Amino acid sequence: VTDHILPKRVYYTIFGILMLGTYLTVQIAFFDLGRLNTVVALTIAVIKATLVVLFFMHLSESHGSNRLVFVVSIIFALVMMLGVFGDLLTRNPMSLPSGAPAFDISPESHMAPHE
Amino acid sequence: LDVTLGTINTVVLITSSLTMALAVHAAQLGQRKLVLWFLVATMVLGVAFLGIKSVEYYHKFEEHHVPGPGFQFEREYFRHAQLFFSLYFIMTGLHALHMIIGIGIMLVMFRWTWRGIITEDYYSPVEISGLYWHFVDIVWIFLFPLLYLIGRHGP
Repeated sequence: VTDHILPKRVYYTIFGILMLGTYLTVQIAFFDLGRLNTVVALTIAVIKATLVVLFFMHLSESHGSNRLVFVVSIIFALVMMLGVFGDLLTRNPMSLPSGAPAFDISPESHMAPHE
Repeated sequence: LDVTLGTINTVVLITSSLTMALAVHAAQLGQRKLVLWFLVATMVLGVAFLGIKSVEYYHKFEEHHVPGPGFQFEREYFRHAQLFFSLYFIMTGLHALHMIIGIGIMLVMFRWTWRGIITEDYYSPVEISGLYWHFVDIVWIFLFPLLYLIGRHGP
């Protein structure tokens, strides 16, 4: 619980930036940047999420212990994901569905053909 | 997946996060009426999100893109697509479930504010409900690019 009260203006500003981020991420998604597409999309998502956490969830004015819990949970989530990525990168091609070629896991092939 | 509907839903959900933040703000200042209005706005936007989501689900059912015996897709990508749509339905379904729970929490908060339990000295329930709502929003902030946008470029 925070005792300090943020001015309303802060919320509107953050909302504006979040909208801008949404617009940008949609526009960029239609350009072919190769592998960078994923990186850019997730970077924007991380920035948006950080803004929500810091301002909408008031972490920017929280006490030290709250901040510590937040950061540590993110680190542990990353540790869990490391296991998944390690598995993905070292996987035997034969264990993929229908024995598909290991490197034909481009995102396009997962997408529906329409719009 | 339909990028337009996905984008609209992203805007709807971020806006609901704004109204939620403003509800907490009003609660901190003890502006009871404003809290009620912002809670209603949050719930309406939440329901709108679920409505658009169900339209999308309906399209997927019509196109036989729901994994299972009736699944249909180009032969070349059949298994890939089935895997993708399994993940799609599990992730968005779980997210939608959290939204429904969130709307339930908002109803309770509305009732508590209505009955005068929530005051400027005791607004923690609204603030904590807000944390939950923002968390669900953050999940969508990641799901949207992962499911709708990545792999969108090209012909």
